[in-house]
Amino acid sequence: MNIRSRGFLLFAGLMSIMLVAAAACSSGTSSGDKTKTAAAGGGKTPAAGATTSTGGEQAPAAQQKITIQSAEPQFYDPHRSSFEQDIGIERLLFRGLYNLTDDGKGGVKVEPGLAAAEPKIAGNVYTVTLKSGLKWSDGKPLTAQHFVDGAKRGCDPGIAADYGYIWGPGYLDLVGCEALQANKDAAQKEALLAKLGARAVDDKTVEFTLTKPNPRFTTLMAIWVTFPARLDVIAAKGDQWTLPGNIVSNGPFILKDMTPKDHATLIPNPNWTGKKPALQQITVKFIDDLSAAFRSYQSHELDMTRISATDIAVAKADSALAKEVLVNPTGRISSVEMNTQAPSKVLGDLNVRIALARAVDREALNEAVFDGTSTPATYWVVKGIKGHQGNEAFDSIIGFNADAARKALADAGYPGGAGFPELGIVVNTPERKAVAEFLQQSYKSVLGINIRIDQVDSPTRSARFQKEDFELFIGGWQIDYPDIENTLFGLFETDGGNNHYNCSNPDVDAALKIALAATSEDARIKAYQNMETAIIKNVCGVAPLYQDSLPFMVNRKLGGVVPNGSIDSGLPGNYCVECWFVKAS
Amino acid sequence: MATQDAAVAPLFADHSDGIVRGHRGLWSDAWRRMLQNKLAMLGLGALATILVMSLVATQMNVVERHAPHDITTAKQLGPTGDHFFGTDQLGRDTWARTLEGVRISLQIGLGTQLVVLSLGLFFGVLAAFGGKLTDNLVMRFTDIMFSFPDLLFIILLREILNGQGIKFLTGTMVMILAIGMIAWTTIARLVRGQMLSLGERDFVTAARALGATRWRIVTTHMLPNTLGPVIVAVTFGIPTAIFAEAALSFLGLGIPAPAASLGTLVADGNRFVQVNVWNVVFPAGAIAVLMLSFTFIGDGLRDALDPRTRG
Amino acid sequence: MLGYTLRRVLWIIPVLWVIATLTFFLMQAVPGGPFTSEKQRPPALEEALQAKYGLNEPLWQQYATYMGNIARGDLGISFDGDRPVSGIIRHSGFISAQIAILSFVVAVTFGISLGTISALNHNKPLDYAGVLFATVGASVPNFVLAAFLSIIFGVELGWLKLLGWGGPPEISDIFNPSAYHPSKMVLPVVALTVLPAAYIARVTRASVLEVLSQDYIRTARAKGLSEFWVVMRHTIRNALIPVLTVIGPIAAILVSGSFIIESTFGIPGLGRESITAVQRRDYGLIMGTTLFYALIVAIANLIVDVLYAVVDPRIRYR
Repeated sequence: MNIRSRGFLLFAGLMSIMLVAAAACSSGTSSGDKTKTAAAGGGKTPAAGATTSTGGEQAPAAQQKITIQSAEPQFYDPHRSSFEQDIGIERLLFRGLYNLTDDGKGGVKVEPGLAAAEPKIAGNVYTVTLKSGLKWSDGKPLTAQHFVDGAKRGCDPGIAADYGYIWGPGYLDLVGCEALQANKDAAQKEALLAKLGARAVDDKTVEFTLTKPNPRFTTLMAIWVTFPARLDVIAAKGDQWTLPGNIVSNGPFILKDMTPKDHATLIPNPNWTGKKPALQQITVKFIDDLSAAFRSYQSHELDMTRISATDIAVAKADSALAKEVLVNPTGRISSVEMNTQAPSKVLGDLNVRIALARAVDREALNEAVFDGTSTPATYWVVKGIKGHQGNEAFDSIIGFNADAARKALADAGYPGGAGFPELGIVVNTPERKAVAEFLQQSYKSVLGINIRIDQVDSPTRSARFQKEDFELFIGGWQIDYPDIENTLFGLFETDGGNNHYNCSNPDVDAALKIALAATSEDARIKAYQNMETAIIKNVCGVAPLYQDSLPFMVNRKLGGVVPNGSIDSGLPGNYCVECWFVKAS
Repeated sequence: MATQDAAVAPLFADHSDGIVRGHRGLWSDAWRRMLQNKLAMLGLGALATILVMSLVATQMNVVERHAPHDITTAKQLGPTGDHFFGTDQLGRDTWARTLEGVRISLQIGLGTQLVVLSLGLFFGVLAAFGGKLTDNLVMRFTDIMFSFPDLLFIILLREILNGQGIKFLTGTMVMILAIGMIAWTTIARLVRGQMLSLGERDFVTAARALGATRWRIVTTHMLPNTLGPVIVAVTFGIPTAIFAEAALSFLGLGIPAPAASLGTLVADGNRFVQVNVWNVVFPAGAIAVLMLSFTFIGDGLRDALDPRTRG
Repeated sequence: MLGYTLRRVLWIIPVLWVIATLTFFLMQAVPGGPFTSEKQRPPALEEALQAKYGLNEPLWQQYATYMGNIARGDLGISFDGDRPVSGIIRHSGFISAQIAILSFVVAVTFGISLGTISALNHNKPLDYAGVLFATVGASVPNFVLAAFLSIIFGVELGWLKLLGWGGPPEISDIFNPSAYHPSKMVLPVVALTVLPAAYIARVTRASVLEVLSQDYIRTARAKGLSEFWVVMRHTIRNALIPVLTVIGPIAAILVSGSFIIESTFGIPGLGRESITAVQRRDYGLIMGTTLFYALIVAIANLIVDVLYAVVDPRIRYR
C-alpha cells in the first residue's frame, strides 16, 4: 500500500503546484495597497481627461476599429426600450431634437441636437426648427413629420412603449397622448392619433402642443422615446425592422450586423450630417459576466468594458491598468428602502426608521463593498442635478451615529434591540448581497437586532417590490432624465405610482403641490428641495446609502471617451461617439 | 427498457452465482474488507477529521478563532498566522467561514441523499414490482423529472417557503428539498434495474421454487443485495449535491446570507479570484477534499460489497 | 426490438406534453413576469404591454393557444427582442452542439484511454496519475476551472482567446476554414471536458478492472493470445457496456449547453439562452428551451437503451 500513499503525495504535490501557480497569477494584487479612489463625479483619470479634440494625434482610418463590451440590448427600437444597455447603444444609432451632454463639472446640460436652436415658446405651443439637410441612413431626408411619427409611436398603446409615459400626463403632457394611451377601441385609434398635439408645420418645423407650459421641455425631448420614427420602414418590415439590413437610423453610426447573445457591429452612417466620426467600426460584445469581461480586457480582446467594483483593486494595483480606469458616475441613489406598512408594524415608527438609517457607517460600507468607488450619501437628489443639496444638509439627521441610533431604537421601545422582530431584506445581485451583509452586521453590532437576507432573482425582487411584499429592500432610483422632479415626483407623495414605501406625509405632499404649481424655476427647485428634506427628516421610505458609480476600463489608445455625468450609464461618453478615436501610437 | 436502468448495474452488480449469504455475513464481511482498504480508511479519516473540526468549531474558540460573520476592515488578506485562510471582501475570516461551509455543505449533501434515498427506493421498487403499466409510467415519470425545469422549480420553492416563518424550513432545508426532488431519479433507475436483474438470478428462482412468499423474497433476498450498489451511489451522490449547490450559488440562488455553504464561498470567491485568489482556493480545496474522501469511501464500499472479492 | 423502439418513440409525445404543461404553469406561478420592473408603468401602458403579448388573457386560454401553436410546430417568440424562439434554438443550439460534440469526443477519447491505461497498469505509477486526474478533475467546480484557465492562458500567458466561440456561426459555414478559430475553442472545450472525462475515466477503469478479473480473460491469456489482443478483442468491448450508460446522460447534458461555460467565455449558446430565459421570465423561450432539452434527453436515453441492447444481447425488453 505504500505506492498508494505515494500516489496521494503526488496528488498533494500537484495541488500545491496549482495553488502556487494560482497565487502567482494574483501576485502584486494583495490587499495592502488600497489607494483612495477619487470621488465619483470629480474623478479625472488620464483616459477621462483626454480632450475631445481630434487634432493630429489620430491613427489612420484602417486602425480606427474598437471592440467594446455591453450587456445585450432587448430592442434597437428607441420607442420600445427601457434598459440601460438599449439606450447606451441607441444613442450611437439615433439622435433626437436635443442632446444631454456632460457639462464638464459632473453635471449635465441640454444642447440642441437635430434641432437648430432652442424651441420657440408661445403659451403651450413649442415650435422647434430642424437643422438643414438632415438625412436618414438610407439617404431619405429627415423631416419634421418623422418627429411627429415618433410622438405617435410613443403614445400608441399598440407599440406599448415602455417610456411612453414621458409623452403623457405629468411629464411632457402632449395634448391627446393620455387619451390615446388609454384607448382600447381600435376604431377610435386613427381619430385619436389625428388629435395628437404634434404637427409638422413644414418639412423643417415641428410643433408640439402641450396641456401646460413645461420648463424641462428640452430635457424631456432628449429622451429616447422622443426620437424620430420611420413609419414606412416599420410598416414594411414589421417587428423585424431593427434587424441589420432592415434598420434605418439617423445617428452617427448604423447597425451593420448583429448576432444575439454575441455581438453587434456598428459602422459610420454615410448620411450622417453632423461631425464625422473618426472610428470606422465599433464591435459591441454582449457580455454579462463582468469578471469575464475584465479578463478579456486584460487579454486585449476588449478596448473598453464595464468592470465590477471588486476588480477595481486589481486594476489599481497594476501601474499600466490603473491609468485606464474610468469611473463613470450614475444618476442612481441606492438606499435601504422601508415599507412603512409592512406587517411587522415596527417600520411605521419614525424612531425605528431613524435608528436603521443612523446605524450604518456609509464610509465604511463604501470601502468594504465598493473599494471606495461609490459616493457615500445621505442625500436623495443625485449629485450633478440642479437642486442637489449634498450630504451636509442631511448628515445631522440620518448620518452615521451609533449613539443616536441606539437612542432612537430605545425611544421606539426596543432598548438594546430587545423585543425587536426579525426583519427581512430583499436583494438580488451579489453586490447587493454584500451590502445587505454589511447592514446585517451593523444592525447587529450597533442596535442588537437581527435582519434576514432574502436573496432572490431579479424578477422576483421587482415583483416583491411592486406587490409591497417586503420589509427592507436594497434598491434605489435611477433617474430617467436629469431634472430634480424625476427623483421625487411619483415616488413619495401619498398614492404616488412608484410609492411602494407607503410614505404618506403632509409635509412631503405639500411641498410637491407647491413644486407642481410653481411658475418660476427657482421656486420649483426650492419646493422640490423642501420635499427632499421632508423625506429625509421623516425617513419616508428611504435611507440613502450611496450614489452608485460604474467603473470602466478604457484602453489608453482610445481618445475622446469621457464620463457621462448622470445622463445614462450604459456607455461612458456615448452622447458624443463621434468624438471617440484611436490615438496614433 | 430494462436497459439503461439496469445498465448502471454492472458497475456495482452482484455477479455471484452462488447462494446469497445471510444478512450478517454480508455486512460483516464488507466491513472487514473496508477496514483493509487503506484509501477508503484515509477518506473516512479525513472526513471524520473535517467533520469533527467543523462541529467543534462552534463550541471552541481555539478551533474557530474568529466569528464567521464578523465584518472587519482587514479585507482581502492572504493566509496569515492569525487568519489561516485569509479574509474575504468584507474582512471576514475565511478559515471560520470554511468550517461553517463544511458544516452546511455536509448537511446539504447528506440531507439531499435522505430525500433521494426515500423517493428513489419507493419509486424503484414500485417500478420493479408494480406491473408493466406502472413500470412504464414510473420510468416515464423519471424521464419527466430529469428534464424538469429545475431552476424555475427552485425559484418557486424558495419563494413559497422562505420568509414564511416556518421554523423547520430553513434555507438549508429548502436547498435539500430542491436538489433532492430532482436527483432521486438516478437511484430509482438503479434500484429498479437491480431488482429486475436480481429477479432473474438463480437464487431468487430457487427461493421462488421453494415456495417463499414474494414479500419474503423481496425483503430477505433482493433488498439486501440492492442496498450495496445503492449505498455506493449515495456516497457519490453527496459530493454531486454539494456541486449542485455550488452551481445554484453561482446563479445567486444559494442559502441565505450571511451563512455560506462551501458552494457559496467558492461562487463568491470566484468573483474576487483576481483580487485575492485565496478566497477561492481554500473553499474549493475543502470541496475537493470532501469529494476525494467520499470518492475513496464509495470506491471502498463498492469493493467491500462486491461479493466476488468476498473471502 | 423494432416494436420496442417504436413504442419508446411514441412515449416521447406524452412525456413532452406533461413537461410542457408542468413548465407552463410553473413559470406562470413563479413571481415576476417578463415585463416586471422596479419602476411602475402607468396602468394604461401596463395593460397595453400585456395585451400586445396576449398575457392579459385567462391562463387556460393562453395555455390552449400555446399548445395549439406547438402542435403546429410554432414555438412562438421570445419577449427579449421579439425574436422567434425556433430561430434562437437553432442558432444557439448549433453553437452548443459544436462545443458538445468536441467536448464529447475529447471526453470520451481521453476518458476511455485514461481509464484503460490506468486499469492495465493497475497499482503502478501510471494508474495513480490517471486516478489523480480523475479525482482532481472531478472535484473542482467548472466555473472555478474556467476562471483559473482564463487567467493562466489568457491573461498571464496570452496564448488563448477568452471571448466568443471559434467555430462557424452558421451551418452554411461549416466547410469554410476561415470560420474556425482554434485559439477561441480550446479553453471552453477544456473547461467543459475535464469533469465528464474524469467521470468516464473512473467508470472505464473500474469496468476494465472487473473484466480483466473474469474467467474468459484468464482463458484467453492461457490460450497464449498476446496481451494486445486480449485487451483489444475481449476486454474493451465488454468493458464498454457500463461506460455506454454514463455516456448517454453526459451527451444530453453537453448538448443542452453549459450556462457557466458559455457566460464565462461569452459564447452565444443554448445554455446561456435557457438560463437567461428563466432569469428574465421570457416565457416563450423558457418553454422552447425546456422542450428542446427534454427531447434531447429522451432521444439520448433511447439511443443508449438501444445501443445497450446491441452490445449486450442478454438484455430483456419490458
